[in-house]
Amino acid sequence: MSSITVRIPTPLRSLTHGQAEVKVEGATVGEILRKLDAQFKGFGDRILDDGKSVKRFVNVFVNEDNIRDKQDLNTEVKTGDTISILPSIAGGC
Amino acid sequence: MITIPNSLLREIYDHTEVSYPYECCGLMIGTMGQNKIVHAFRRCKNLNTERAHDRYDMDPLDMLRVEREFENSPWQIIGIYHSHPDHPSRPSQTDTDRAWPDYSYVIISVHKGTVAGAQSWVLNEVEKKFDEEPLITGDSK
Repeated sequence: MSSITVRIPTPLRSLTHGQAEVKVEGATVGEILRKLDAQFKGFGDRILDDGKSVKRFVNVFVNEDNIRDKQDLNTEVKTGDTISILPSIAGGC
Repeated sequence: MITIPNSLLREIYDHTEVSYPYECCGLMIGTMGQNKIVHAFRRCKNLNTERAHDRYDMDPLDMLRVEREFENSPWQIIGIYHSHPDHPSRPSQTDTDRAWPDYSYVIISVHKGTVAGAQSWVLNEVEKKFDEEPLITGDSK
């Protein structure tokens, strides 16, 4: 089992009791995000669609790679990897 | 309340004016709390090329880069700025639909290439609308 660092964006830190970074063990991005959902109430609702995919307006990176360019939630991770959860920022006038 | 030093705000204005007539966007970095304080900002790329005059989509790689740059500092990403070319500095429905809680959204109105005003907004999640927050400018970083 790999120990992964997950970086939490500002808008989700109220769910992680202010933590900017959480260490989680798991073999895939999906496994890790579901563990975070179990650990922090409401976390999954913000970033996952029915626990099966990442919401459209959320980006998840493993190191420098967007998981949409890899195997989405099935993307494998290894010890030392960093998962960054980032809000998708957009708007207009 | 959000405080932005005059020197930084002027640099942000420069970004919005040089980008006119297109929308630009960037990230504000600083300290959270009742009074957010901006200590730095970073320009980000607007990936929306089809409607750049009235839409922006921030490059997620830019956000990743900024997140990494400040991950070991006492500062964090505390908000987003973007411009409204020839539109008021009030949030649009698109802004509201895509807003995230806790961030400050500073909107800068640029009229005919010159900044006409700026306001800061925070999402009210309960009412699904933006509330204005006081935007304070100071003289020093």
